[in-house]
Amino acid sequence: MRSLITILFIAILSGITTFFLPWWMVAVCTFLVVVTMRQRPGQGFRAGFAGIALLWLIVILCRDLPNEHILSARMAKVFGLPNSGLFILVNILLGGLVGGLAGWSGGVMFKYFRK
Amino acid sequence: MRKLVAILPLVLTTIFVYLLDKPLGKLPAIGRLLDPVNGCWASADPVNKSFDLQLQLPGLKQAAEVRFDDRLVPHIKAATEHDIYYVQGYIHAYFRLWQMDMQTRAAAGRICEVAGEKALKFDRGQRRKGMVYGAEQSLKAMEADPRSKDMLDAYSAGINYYISQLNYRAYPLEYKLMGFKPEAWTNIKTALLLKYMADDLTGYTEDIAMTVLRDMLSPAEFDLLYPSRMEGSATVIPSDTVIQHPSLKTLAAPPDSIAWTHLQTTDFIQDETDGKGSNNWALSGSRTLSRAPILCNDPHLGLNLPSLWYEVQLQTPSMNVYGVSLPGAPGVVIGFNDSISWGFTNNYRDVKDFYAIEPMSANTYRFSGKELRYNDRVEVIKIKGRPDFKDTVHYTIHGPVIYDQSFHGPGGLIKPLAVTWMAHKPSNEILSLYLLNHSNNYVQFVDAIHHFNCPGQNMLYADRAGNIALWGQGQFINKWKDQGKYVMNGADSSTLWKELIPVAENPHAFNPAQGYLASANQTVTDSTYPYWYNGYFNEFRSWRINQVLRSLHSATVEDMFKLQNDVYSILASKVLPVMLQHINVDVLKLKERKYLDFLGGWDYRLTPDSKAATVFQVWWTELYEVIWKNRFSKVPDKIYPSPERTMQLMIDNNPAIGNLNDLAVYSLRNATDSLAKLEKAGKLEWSKAKNTSVNHLTKLPAFSYPDLKIGGWGNTVNAAKSVHGPSWRMVVQMGRQIEAYGVYPGGQSGNPGSKYYATFLDKWVKGEYNKLSFVPRSGKATSRFTWNIQP
Repeated sequence: MRSLITILFIAILSGITTFFLPWWMVAVCTFLVVVTMRQRPGQGFRAGFAGIALLWLIVILCRDLPNEHILSARMAKVFGLPNSGLFILVNILLGGLVGGLAGWSGGVMFKYFRK
Repeated sequence: MRKLVAILPLVLTTIFVYLLDKPLGKLPAIGRLLDPVNGCWASADPVNKSFDLQLQLPGLKQAAEVRFDDRLVPHIKAATEHDIYYVQGYIHAYFRLWQMDMQTRAAAGRICEVAGEKALKFDRGQRRKGMVYGAEQSLKAMEADPRSKDMLDAYSAGINYYISQLNYRAYPLEYKLMGFKPEAWTNIKTALLLKYMADDLTGYTEDIAMTVLRDMLSPAEFDLLYPSRMEGSATVIPSDTVIQHPSLKTLAAPPDSIAWTHLQTTDFIQDETDGKGSNNWALSGSRTLSRAPILCNDPHLGLNLPSLWYEVQLQTPSMNVYGVSLPGAPGVVIGFNDSISWGFTNNYRDVKDFYAIEPMSANTYRFSGKELRYNDRVEVIKIKGRPDFKDTVHYTIHGPVIYDQSFHGPGGLIKPLAVTWMAHKPSNEILSLYLLNHSNNYVQFVDAIHHFNCPGQNMLYADRAGNIALWGQGQFINKWKDQGKYVMNGADSSTLWKELIPVAENPHAFNPAQGYLASANQTVTDSTYPYWYNGYFNEFRSWRINQVLRSLHSATVEDMFKLQNDVYSILASKVLPVMLQHINVDVLKLKERKYLDFLGGWDYRLTPDSKAATVFQVWWTELYEVIWKNRFSKVPDKIYPSPERTMQLMIDNNPAIGNLNDLAVYSLRNATDSLAKLEKAGKLEWSKAKNTSVNHLTKLPAFSYPDLKIGGWGNTVNAAKSVHGPSWRMVVQMGRQIEAYGVYPGGQSGNPGSKYYATFLDKWVKGEYNKLSFVPRSGKATSRFTWNIQP
């Protein structure tokens, strides 16, 4: 339950923040949420990964579906990928990785500094 | 230690994020680009996106309205001239900002700033040509006239208001990929864009090759191979046109020893073509079914995305004009209004001449027996990720020294040459467009185009009163015979450009007896025109257009569509029989005969599916090459006698061609190899072999359309070459109701993520047209989307 809430917090806070501030705020938000939610390093990585991947997946679907994949097909080609699905997957994994690393950092930080 | 371990993941994460936020080598900043909220995904316009807007534009004087039709063509209605150009600027920026930015950067030699060092040679070339200098001169003229100044100021303000509201998320996709951002627009950028067109259409360096050729050949040979007037040209101005008496006297040419410079092999060091044609024609009522004149134009230019053109209708109480505009310039360039229609093709008279400079010291050169100082202009080229590059360009009495030891000319030329170019003179083409857009009759049309100095254009006219006309318009010089044909001696004052020819004396024709007028970059006039000129004329398309128009007596717009998309090759029809006649089939190998068989019964049409077209084009290209290469392949730019001249000499069996029996077989043998390769790759069909492509300005394949199924080539009316072709096909019937059709290979939106990015491409390929919804002054456009704009 707690990890689910953490994931949602990460996704929502990152989404709102990056609407106004640069993209790397997703890392800052994830880090802060993980520390606040007192997650362990492993939990932090998973929550961060899931939170940002979820956020990016939702935003991408909201843009890609009404666009009928025009942009994603072109971007896939820019990156030398065979189709838009794979491009979206790579895109989401990248977000997940940034979130995961930030969550892990938060978890490690919390673990060592709580006392 | 504990603390260090605790901080380590944070440090690693920070480094990772930092790397994703910075461009690495050729890669853009991946994190920024792939952020779904602000990155590339922001350019994914929903296919059913509503472009409806309530806008407040603070620079506006009164309320204005824009109604977009189904094709996203804006019909802009404003109360004042200021407002219409303000809104046009805003709209151009809204749909085409990156393109405008990029093209003006290219004009100014500022590509290195955004693309890095690889563009240095290009940027230096632009600076040395004096592109910025020329734009500055023109800007002075434009800002000296209140009409063009107000127009430009309003236009720039509209663009800048749009830019001021942008954040990173709203940047066009290409900015995110290339990692730079929009900068404020200024009037000089519009001037630069016009110079970019001038350079595209008049920026030739043939004089250098001609200088080498003149020393290589006897005068008789030179005239035979490189005649200054093509025999049998169906000239732009019909030959029965009465030419008015010239007001200027013919100037005596200085003696050869003074006029010319010679280029020796020591003037070159080892170093590392084809023109842009266009067609326009107009039929008077005597030749049309409706008895109303029909005007047709298809300017051939580089085929790019976002397209060079942007369709628009502009409506104010004093003007109602429809046509294509250039994103980056206010007004309509080619189009029609309530009363008149007009179109342009390139005029190709030579307005760019070269002078050999004799340096006397590092800072001085010889002129008229004196030692003159250069005016130095330091060009600072900013390079992304590198220190600035400084290039000092010497300006002489002739103009900038374009080539020298530090920047080589064609063929590795190192002798210092200065260039005198009409595009360096102050001129106000924007005023010309302004007046043209407002013209209601022939007199006003003529008054308008007389402000158009460079690039010289064949300006075609048709009005609702039933008149047609054509002007070979531009600012030209009263030259002595051969002046500027070769590189001139820059140390003597007798070679300078002298008087300007009064524009009213430019060649023109009004309601000719033949009932039509046509230009397709052919020779402008016959020998009755009193002023001497040279140029880079093409004849094939003109021959074909004249052939077809002569046969039409009740032409319809459909006939015009057919002619604009005509792929009949006059070259093939005349030269192929000669080629076949010289082939001895007995000496051919089986595979050579196989390709030859394709040509049997061919109708000389370069249709997309034709294999015969491919066989002919490949064979002809080989033959043309082997005829001339031994003698001329060392000439800078490889300037060979023109295909037209080559064809004529072949038909006449002129000894200058060599032994055609041998050449025909030899070239067929070479062609067979290329054809076999094409066949193996499954590309023997003409459209596949030639590969007409419409490429994004960055050349990114993901944003481009290669391999279009379209016929034609440079020698046919539908001149779809590999990356050049008809950039805007327009047919306007000027009857009681104006009936207009048009199509360009692109779409109204510059955004590769929009469904409007290349909407018209398919129609363009198939030779189909969009009906243009020209809204009358009193009427309202049926609109898909509306912008209500308040001041």
